[in-house]
Amino acid sequence: MNRRDFLIGCSSSLAVSALSSFETFTFSEQDNKDIFVLIFLRGGCDALNMVAPISDKNYIDARSQNLRITETGENKGWLLKNTLNQLDFALHKSAKPLFDLYQNQNLAIIHACGLPNGTRSHFDAQDLIEKGITKKQNVNDGWLARYLNQKQLDGAIPALASQNIPLSLLGSSQVISMSKPQDFNLRGDPRLKGLLKSLYNGDTLLDKTVQNTLKNIKTIQQKQPKEYLPSVEYPNAWYAQSFSNSLKTVAQTIKMDVGLHVATVDFGGWDTHENQSWVFDSLTKALSESLMAFYNDLSAYHNKLSVVVMSEFGRRVKSNYSNGTDHGFGGIMFALGKNIKGGKMYGKWNGLATEQLDNGVDLAVTTDYRTILGEILTQRLNVSTPDLKKIFPDFNLSNPLGFIR
Amino acid sequence: MSLDLLLTQKITYGLNPALAEKVRKIGFQSYLESQLSPKESEDTIYFQKFQSTTYTIEQNKKLETRNFTCLKLSAQELFSKFNKPDVKEKNLPAFEVYADTWLRALHSEWQLKEMMVEFWHNHFNVSILADERIAISLPLYDTTIRKNCFGNFRVLLEAISKSPAMLYYLDNYNSRASPANENYARELFELHTLGAESYLNHLYNRWKEVPNALQEKPIGYIDEDVYEAARAFTGWTVADGSDNQKGGRFPNTGEFLYFEGWHDNYQKRVLGVEFPPNQPPMADGLKVLDLVASHPSTAKYICTKICRRFISDNPPESIIKKAVEVWQANLKNPQQIKQVLWTILTSEEFKESSGKKSKRPFELLVSALRSLQIDIQPNQMLVYLLAQTGHTPFMWATPTGHPDVASYWHNPNFLLTRWNSLIALISEDWHKITKPLNLQMPSNLKTPKEIAQYWLSKLLPIKYSESLLQKCANFIAGGGDIDEEPVFYDERDRNHKIMNMILLVAMSPEFQIR
Repeated sequence: MNRRDFLIGCSSSLAVSALSSFETFTFSEQDNKDIFVLIFLRGGCDALNMVAPISDKNYIDARSQNLRITETGENKGWLLKNTLNQLDFALHKSAKPLFDLYQNQNLAIIHACGLPNGTRSHFDAQDLIEKGITKKQNVNDGWLARYLNQKQLDGAIPALASQNIPLSLLGSSQVISMSKPQDFNLRGDPRLKGLLKSLYNGDTLLDKTVQNTLKNIKTIQQKQPKEYLPSVEYPNAWYAQSFSNSLKTVAQTIKMDVGLHVATVDFGGWDTHENQSWVFDSLTKALSESLMAFYNDLSAYHNKLSVVVMSEFGRRVKSNYSNGTDHGFGGIMFALGKNIKGGKMYGKWNGLATEQLDNGVDLAVTTDYRTILGEILTQRLNVSTPDLKKIFPDFNLSNPLGFIR
Repeated sequence: MSLDLLLTQKITYGLNPALAEKVRKIGFQSYLESQLSPKESEDTIYFQKFQSTTYTIEQNKKLETRNFTCLKLSAQELFSKFNKPDVKEKNLPAFEVYADTWLRALHSEWQLKEMMVEFWHNHFNVSILADERIAISLPLYDTTIRKNCFGNFRVLLEAISKSPAMLYYLDNYNSRASPANENYARELFELHTLGAESYLNHLYNRWKEVPNALQEKPIGYIDEDVYEAARAFTGWTVADGSDNQKGGRFPNTGEFLYFEGWHDNYQKRVLGVEFPPNQPPMADGLKVLDLVASHPSTAKYICTKICRRFISDNPPESIIKKAVEVWQANLKNPQQIKQVLWTILTSEEFKESSGKKSKRPFELLVSALRSLQIDIQPNQMLVYLLAQTGHTPFMWATPTGHPDVASYWHNPNFLLTRWNSLIALISEDWHKITKPLNLQMPSNLKTPKEIAQYWLSKLLPIKYSESLLQKCANFIAGGGDIDEEPVFYDERDRNHKIMNMILLVAMSPEFQIR
């Protein structure tokens, strides 16, 4: 080795040690912090095909048999206990894992909930929900970002988004997006990382994101085992793969002990305007099986884990002529965890007769989506009432559902 | 002169030596003029590349080399060849469009046209993953957009509404009375024309309540408009050989078909305007297209999007206003879109916008290949390489199309994957897409500083910062003097250093913007 090569070796190791001095994290206090996972079903999940009062005549008349849950036959659902108005609500046939979680009292179902704003646009509804508001106004950051910005989180990776960062986390510099820890690295000469760090040294969003990314490459590459071996098997069927891989990444990151506190996972494809029965069946299978695997994989974390599943709206009560359903209003949410008073349905059920519906066509929203998120924030994530007001402006948690232990 | 080049970067997929030379000679304004009147016959370099390029696809776990065969086929030829249960390569027509899109972005003389074709593909987004018949008919969809990209919006809108790709994607092919399928009608208002800002359902429940509706000029739309428009489009479908549910079958020609048997022919009201019952074939749907295409909100919504594409994420109101005026004054002009583009691209607001736009991943990769003059031989890995970055042309799932603001693209996952894709395309060979970059340099270039300057002037021909030059030169020098001939361990060491310096420039803040 000549002198010059030696110098090069030196400079690259110097660059590495300079990097690492930035990256000394303390992991104290992480042990008693909750972990909140938000799953967003993009496209408008048909709440009335997921959980419905199966002998309601209005329900039966509004939909062809393959777009509803039935008492008998091929689409026979899983009959639930502790329902709203003591009606015979049942879960979709493919949601057996969710039914088991409900039976074990880990899963709560909140029905007829959503955004108290009459929009039936995906774009509008997702935008408003993720910004934590109910009417268009000049708000640019997401509600989860506002929550994170209130907290002093000292972990290496306080927040994680699968694939890309959803609007709810926009405006937080504590979040990283990652599809797989193994791939979270930069190819090419290792010295490029240090050089990029010096090139992106301003204070724009891009500069900060690059700094955060480079910092996290090292943490993640140190912490992650070569290949993740989950403690249970995740579903691997084509329809479940993408969602189940995202959940696997979240579980892996939680176990890496890098202070993960908030994670979001997007699950798309719920906009079922046509041939719904087949698509909805696959999606529901993917949702239930993956969620069950994820929950079991994290059995050591059950006491501090809360999972919420939501969508931008439900779908029309009456099905259309292409065997699908169009955009509706009232939707469904799930809450999962040891700290959730599961095995029970929550919310207020108005009924499905035309005069009981919103605008005569859609399930009415009787519970503001922020009630559910607000209860999680105040009771599991230690948010005070004044701070909740900053996360959800114009909202009071005046009628909590009481679904948290 | 450097302003001319900076502006050229904003309406192209990046400079290459020939383009820079041309604009230096004729100036930006003349270049823009010629770009707005593209002549297919004068696209010599692209045409040569297209003729000589083959692509490879995986078939039965083996790589097969193919020539382009689908792009010129008629609807009937595409459907009779691919719309059969036993045909395995249903994605082939779509892959050819994908590969051709890369070739054109890399080599076409008509760069602004390519930018606008990409713009309209995003505006009228379809995804081949939603339905295999979208993949089969994608060449037709691409042709429709190419034909009308500088033309008249009302004409383009109707062509899109009758395109099999869109009819499948937003389910209208299946919409019949009653209840109609609302998917297309809703996105027609929200995403194709008036825009979400004009959706006033949270404010008004009945059509009459919308301000100015009684004068047939409502300021926006509500669900009642969506319901009625959906009824207007019942029966707009595709002749794809399927059962017509009335005891017969449609022919399998792959063409647009209006089927009266599915149409809801009774009276309707859309945007305050009454439609009488029992209109002639398609009259209801065409009337809806007339109403939405001429609505002032449509002008505002689309002009804003065009300004966002070419100026900045938040374009100034002043230029949007000017563009809207031109749009509205040219509603019937066959060159309406061209007039609007001319207004935007010759404005002061545009001239002041250099560097304000972050390249999307496709733009980044293509501009790097263009400036380094690297050729590609497309294969399926190309789709994967780009998809990793979050950029999925013709496969974006939701009808919104790809976001056009930096805040979406600048997240850790997408930054890493865009850089890794760049590294893979330029410096690695495992994907078999690009031939390795030629690292030869004129022999008089000896010192690290000279080497750095040589490559910097290729990637950043207009200007680059002194600090970037220093970093690049130091990287080559490896701790030695940047003005002294460096000692490379061997040829491999030399190539490794130069290659990684090139990658660094391509990943630098200066190369991420246009």
